[in-house]
Amino acid sequence: MKLTKAQALVLIAISVPVAIELRTVAGFFNVELPLIAVAVIEFLFLALLFVLYGLYGEGSESAA
Amino acid sequence: MATASGGDEFVDKFPDEAAIIKASFLIAFVSLGIGAFFGLIQALHRTNVFRVIDSADYYTVLTGHGVLLAIVFTIFFLCGVFHWAVARSLDRPAESALFSWAWVGLMTTGAVLATVAILGGFVPNLGMSADVLFTFYAPLQAHPIFYIGLAMFIVGTWLAGADWFLSYRAWRQEHPDERIPLQTFMVLTTMIMWYISTLGVAVSVVFFLIPWSLGLIESVNPLLTRTLFWYFGHPIVYFWLMPAYLLWYTVLPKLAGGRLFSDPLARVVFVLFLLLSTPVGIHHQYLDPGIAEGFKFIAMTNTMFLLLPSLLTAFTVVASVEHGARQRGGEGYLRWLGALPWRDPAFTGMALAGAMFAAGGFSGMINAGMNINYLIHNTLWVPGHFHLTVGTAVALTMMAGSYWLVPQVTGRKLYSRPIGLLQVIMWFVGMVFMSNAMHRAGLAGIPRRTAEPQYQNFEFLTPIGSIFELRVQIALGGTLLFLSVVLFLFNILLTSLGEESDRPVDSYLPEPLSGPEGSPRILDNLTMWTGIAAVLVVLAYTLPLAGIIQNGGGLFGGGLPVPATVSAGVDLVLTTVTSAFNTLWGVVA
Ligand code: HEM
Ligand SMILES: [Cu+2]
Repeated sequence: MKLTKAQALVLIAISVPVAIELRTVAGFFNVELPLIAVAVIEFLFLALLFVLYGLYGEGSESAA
Repeated sequence: MATASGGDEFVDKFPDEAAIIKASFLIAFVSLGIGAFFGLIQALHRTNVFRVIDSADYYTVLTGHGVLLAIVFTIFFLCGVFHWAVARSLDRPAESALFSWAWVGLMTTGAVLATVAILGGFVPNLGMSADVLFTFYAPLQAHPIFYIGLAMFIVGTWLAGADWFLSYRAWRQEHPDERIPLQTFMVLTTMIMWYISTLGVAVSVVFFLIPWSLGLIESVNPLLTRTLFWYFGHPIVYFWLMPAYLLWYTVLPKLAGGRLFSDPLARVVFVLFLLLSTPVGIHHQYLDPGIAEGFKFIAMTNTMFLLLPSLLTAFTVVASVEHGARQRGGEGYLRWLGALPWRDPAFTGMALAGAMFAAGGFSGMINAGMNINYLIHNTLWVPGHFHLTVGTAVALTMMAGSYWLVPQVTGRKLYSRPIGLLQVIMWFVGMVFMSNAMHRAGLAGIPRRTAEPQYQNFEFLTPIGSIFELRVQIALGGTLLFLSVVLFLFNILLTSLGEESDRPVDSYLPEPLSGPEGSPRILDNLTMWTGIAAVLVVLAYTLPLAGIIQNGGGLFGGGLPVPATVSAGVDLVLTTVTSAFNTLWGVVA
């Protein structure tokens, strides 16, 4: 399926609460996640999303 | 059901109604702008990030924020939506345009008077202020203009309801055997609830607060005005939510590309809200010493019953949206989510608002629990909770809905869909930051409603992260929210200045998958439901009110309050009933 710009934006938005509460979830398993770790994870997620958008995004099917 | 296509737009068909709706929306959006600006000031002030006001003025700002957003913005928008829904679903204009303008005028005058009194707080030598917060109960006292404005505003909403009932009566005469169209059914049940619950606040304002602020009576019974406020203060929550539900049930499925799953289920939900939303107000008073624990317990169980219509709504709305996605070719357990029209800000805004409402529902269950409530009572957790519910489920749905409604009532195309999309996403992200941090700050014990939340020789401790992070999150979230409102107002303003269009939006609403024929006729018996709702209210409130008046030193206070017990209330009612009976017996015998 094609990833639209709107879908990418919604995914970014949804990733914010997940990232913020990641430390609570980790806490349930007695893992103390520092803030910086969460920032790195969120950054990696965004990077992945941009790669996916490059591969499957609206602009990639220029020939079609 | 009205089907608009071609040149048959709402504004062409019902020009008078469109004008009323535009006026209501205009006032709603002006209030939203000012209220959001106050919100930004608060968010930056109490986190000590940036201070433009004196801490002494914080209550003035907070009152303006609460009143303009939670009362003026939401209710004016609601009046616009309801006026639209009644005209559209009955397919007839209101009985008298003059009457419609009368309620718009009365509500506007009331809102302006109340706002003037509040803003007067910034000018000390004016001698006028209303720093009483949007809950306005004693012992805080406002200038009489504030209460008079409020009373006019509420009477205005009563007239608005009368307007819709008159339309319905006229329609009924021509369609004696038809089912009430769903949108009108939703409007009427909501208004019945509103009539029942505003009685409490009207009594409080007219008999106690106005005479007291004018100096005609010396004192009031504070617990009585609090209780009368919350008697209306919980149902007002549903007055905010019902327009959002109306849009979720009747518009969101269409935007998703499908139809409402079940019309009968929607009717059941609205009837349940009518029955259950008033006899629960005491759940805001778990910490009030003058009310016996037993009554608090009853309010708690009633509150838990209210979960049922909320869960039914979650089920019906998600099912309808999923149906829409599958109509658009969506497949799989979750992959259908990708087939939804995420580009459409009206859809995306409402969907995100619904998602946040789920989170707000969970924190609401914590508030409702009598014992866990003690943990978060009057902390920042509480604003955290209601910025998810009224501040997002309602406000974001209203903004998103505007992207679809404003074109219909103005006949102009939305200025920019991408800006709209950015706006609703920004609200979501901003609210995640602000509200999440507020919940956490509340758990750490940080109080609400204060410019200086820090205490001397006391440290707030968080289980995860630090207080500093929470402050930054609140300030960041509040800023994003304010920018989001600016984008919204800008988009709507440019829309209304734009060119007229033949077909500004596809305004057709499809029939539900399961129509009203399937629902029992008794659901449409509004008189019966009103009766049952009234009985439930009497059952839930007679004893507590009797106890409050007896223990709080009478109707007008003055005496020293004593801790309450259930038996004191029962005693009072028993003595009253016995003496009434004896008198009666004396007359008869
Ligand atoms: C720009 C967006 C907003 C921001 C930045 C914001 C910020 C805040 C903050 C920081 C508080 C807590 C103040 C305190 O307890 O000290 C607050 C309270 C409140 N907010 Fe908002 N808010 C926003 C939008 C809204 C909306 C849309 C609504 C309702 C429709 C709303 C309704 C309220 C109410 C009722 C209170 C409580 C007032 C009181 O305690 O008397 N807010 N807001
Ligand atoms: Cu409540």
